Amino acid sequence: MKVIQVENIKKAFGENPVLRGVDLTVNKSEVVVIMGPSGSGKSTFLRCLTYLEEPNEGLIQIGPHELHTGGKLDRKRKKEIRELRKKTGFVFQSFNLFPNMTAIENVMEGPMTIHGVKSNEAKKVAEVLLCKVGLGDRCDHYPVQLSGGQQQRVAIARALSLNPTVMLYDEPTSALDPELVREVLQVIKDLAEEGMTMVIVTHEMNFAREVADRVIFMDDGYIVEQGTPEEIFDHPKEERTKQFLTMTK
Amino acid sequence: MLESLEGSGSVDVTIIIDSLPSLVKATVMTLFLSCLSVLIALVIGFSTALIRILKVKILYEIASMYISIIRGTPLLVQIFVIYYGLPQIGISLDPISSGIMALSLNAGAYLSESFRASILAVDRGQMEAAISMGMTYGQAMRRIILPQSLRIAIPTLSNSFIVLVKDTSLVSVITVTELLQMSSLIIAKTFEPLTIYLVAAAIYWILITFFTTMLDKFEKRSSKYLAR
Repeated sequence: MKVIQVENIKKAFGENPVLRGVDLTVNKSEVVVIMGPSGSGKSTFLRCLTYLEEPNEGLIQIGPHELHTGGKLDRKRKKEIRELRKKTGFVFQSFNLFPNMTAIENVMEGPMTIHGVKSNEAKKVAEVLLCKVGLGDRCDHYPVQLSGGQQQRVAIARALSLNPTVMLYDEPTSALDPELVREVLQVIKDLAEEGMTMVIVTHEMNFAREVADRVIFMDDGYIVEQGTPEEIFDHPKEERTKQFLTMTK
Repeated sequence: MLESLEGSGSVDVTIIIDSLPSLVKATVMTLFLSCLSVLIALVIGFSTALIRILKVKILYEIASMYISIIRGTPLLVQIFVIYYGLPQIGISLDPISSGIMALSLNAGAYLSESFRASILAVDRGQMEAAISMGMTYGQAMRRIILPQSLRIAIPTLSNSFIVLVKDTSLVSVITVTELLQMSSLIIAKTFEPLTIYLVAAAIYWILITFFTTMLDKFEKRSSKYLAR
């Protein structure tokens, strides 16, 4: 069953084309890892999926929500975009936790503000989610009192709080000290085992090998090659993929 | 002890004590002017800041012009225009209303800039995180951005408030009997400018020290989440 279907996404910043027509289909419970050199458009592509960047062209479908690009940003369209975002958990490279709220308040915020859930109910859900990411004992800490790895795990719990159909990760471990990377990847791996549909932009090759059902290699605004981790890492067909892999080894 | 300039030799404590009730009464007027003006100024400043950030058509130009004019002209001129000038086009306000209008319009322009800067100072990622969850722009502003920008704004807000308290002394020129005007009235009777002006200065200083202490506490409290 298809959960994400994207057709011919194009995006330019001014005169500078970043995405030159990207198609992607992701099935339920599939874990897709996107790799590629910096400037290849992988982060922009991910951000386009939830309209953090508005694509210039293309079609995006996540679950039952379908968005054609172009068209005026009127009330109806803004609502469609919000509906799509509610079903799409987004995890940022720089965490972007709300610094004036404790860990648990961060996780309660979405359900309370967006779904109007009562605070005691939101709290129960948030506690479960924080326990799930291994931070049951850090509920009342402010982000500044947490390590980078802990902050990113709170951010994952926050993204899960709205019960998303898919989770999108934009280089979730790139801002972390090396020793903290593993705890975050472990949480993502656990989610993969539970059958969460996920698209992950990352440079962690070992992680991609372990978790990904499919690896996509992007360069210069195109998808160059895609396949299982073995196909991409061990037997790449395209010259650019080979080049990238030797450079990162 | 302060001695009379006339060299009468008598200690002026009695003059201070005698004039204190009137000075305190005038201080209440100063406080009233400051507090009411700051409340109106906060509303003006906040709404014009939002108008400028949201780039609301037409209102944006009006708000920018307002800020430019207020910041580009002396407060004393603004007071004169409102009190002496407006009656010529049929708008006559009593001295107190004129004073409050001038003070709040003036402070509003400066507060507007502080608010705008503090909203823009909140990390861009905060807005992205909020809307990526499906919040509306309004919800994100109200729940995420504004609470954080308020904390950033407090130091400049308290600075503007201090300036405002001191600026109330300017409305003495349009016969509002606030602290400075009352001091001058007392001096006209007692011929003790040094004593009375120093007492007035001391009262201003006490008021402002009181407010700065309170606002500092408020700032500390609102920044508690930044402590490790």
